[in-house]
Amino acid sequence: MIGEFLSYGFVQRGLIAGSFAAASCALLGVFLVLKRLSLIGDGMSHVCLTGVAVALLTSANPVYMSVPVVMVSSLGIMKLAQKFKIYGDAAIGIVSAAGLSVGLMITAFAGGFNTDLLGYLFGSILTVTFSEAVLCGLLLAAVLFGLVYFYRDLTSVCFDEPFARTRGVRAGTVNTALVMVTSIAVVLAFKVVGIFLISALIIIPPVSALLVSRTFRQVLWLAACFGVGSVWTGVYLSFVLNIPSGATIILINLICLAGSYIYSKWGIKDVR
Amino acid sequence: MQSVIRAENLRFAYTRTPVLEDVSFNITSGDYVGLIGPNGGGKTTLLKLLLGLEKGAGKIALFGTPLAKFKDWQKIGYLAQKSPVSQSRFPISAEEVVLMGLPPRRGADVLRAELKEVHEVMRQTRTREYAGRIFHDLSVGQQQRVLLARAIVSKPELLILDEPSTALDASSREMFFDLLGELNEKCGVTILLITHDTGEVGKYISKFMYVDKTLVFFGTKEEFCKSDKVAQKLGAFAQHTIDHLHNHGHCPLGCSCGEKHK
Repeated sequence: MIGEFLSYGFVQRGLIAGSFAAASCALLGVFLVLKRLSLIGDGMSHVCLTGVAVALLTSANPVYMSVPVVMVSSLGIMKLAQKFKIYGDAAIGIVSAAGLSVGLMITAFAGGFNTDLLGYLFGSILTVTFSEAVLCGLLLAAVLFGLVYFYRDLTSVCFDEPFARTRGVRAGTVNTALVMVTSIAVVLAFKVVGIFLISALIIIPPVSALLVSRTFRQVLWLAACFGVGSVWTGVYLSFVLNIPSGATIILINLICLAGSYIYSKWGIKDVR
Repeated sequence: MQSVIRAENLRFAYTRTPVLEDVSFNITSGDYVGLIGPNGGGKTTLLKLLLGLEKGAGKIALFGTPLAKFKDWQKIGYLAQKSPVSQSRFPISAEEVVLMGLPPRRGADVLRAELKEVHEVMRQTRTREYAGRIFHDLSVGQQQRVLLARAIVSKPELLILDEPSTALDASSREMFFDLLGELNEKCGVTILLITHDTGEVGKYISKFMYVDKTLVFFGTKEEFCKSDKVAQKLGAFAQHTIDHLHNHGHCPLGCSCGEKHK
């Protein structure tokens, strides 16, 4: 059964792209969760709808169209929070609502919902193209490079931003880079689980990892493993049981979260 | 004496109501300055302005360099009022927290020389025993000592501390202030410290700065004890406390202010 499952080209592409995207989302999610910015993924995913709607209207590639839209919107979230001194979650709510309503308006003008749009809303991992899989690979490479090269800046800014700034760390640049790369990850991941569920790939694996890890490096490894594991298990189960892959991936993540919680309550012993 | 912090006509407001107005002073090398004032008087805001964490009007120079061009951040150690992780369980060890105090470097690896410096300062601050424990799992007092270690690990020439002893027990406070006193006296570290505990820290402090939206007083502690402006600001109760302590044979600020002790 597994051999047959893995023999299809579209399954291979979906699994590879899904693994790259899930690992990227989980690794970036660790920093976003710790900075209490995890809902930014939710806001960005709603803004994706505008990009997808414009792409469907103009017959452009939804991924390429969504990247600039989501990047500009995420910058908007940051500027709203900084310049107008409003809470980050409120800024996310404002931009998210704007993105969703503009997307729905364009969709209505374009003649309402169609099957293409539904595919983006709920995910269609098995329709991932080769070029999209390559893009997901490049994204993961960029995330891993940034993580290793700027490891100290990232951990320092996430742990204590004011102190990091007094060390000469450019916290503003670190935050902007983190949010920009997350925007790209969100766009590349929407084919995996769908616009509605992307934020779960950013939030749940890191939270599960944070519950059971003893070191920060462990958190990063585990979050990536939870993300990738959920994609493989979810896609396989959806193939066997003929159920939606996006929702299955997220349910697998929720089961991991429940397991991590139980382990953190009864399994962890502080040996140091 | 070399100027360490020079501030000219500092002004700052979060909204339309000014938090700080017309604050000017010059702290020179080797000074141990106690920054006091009422709650909401602008003390923490002043420190944030000096560190570039808030932007206001006026001029600030650190070690003779305008703040905007200042790059030698390893010369400055900073300890904030609140512990950075109050809610989320950031899985990072006390040792890794101290490591963050060293100058930023690219890459994730830790050099042996860096670890040596970290362990040395952790021994000095009596935090070595819990170096491997997760920072979040330590008591607030232990966390504060780890953060002090982080503030001094880069061997700073200036230490800026915002009410650092609030969460410490009596013996930790004594160790804390003794260590600061030693850094000031033996290593010549300039210290600017917000405190409400003038009695305990008074014996080490060389100058007082009283800020209440504006600079009320800046001078030696002997001048502080005799300042009419300070007496007016502190009010009758505080003045009574100072008089009471004087009457019991010691100056609350540990100075030779010339008061006749009964």
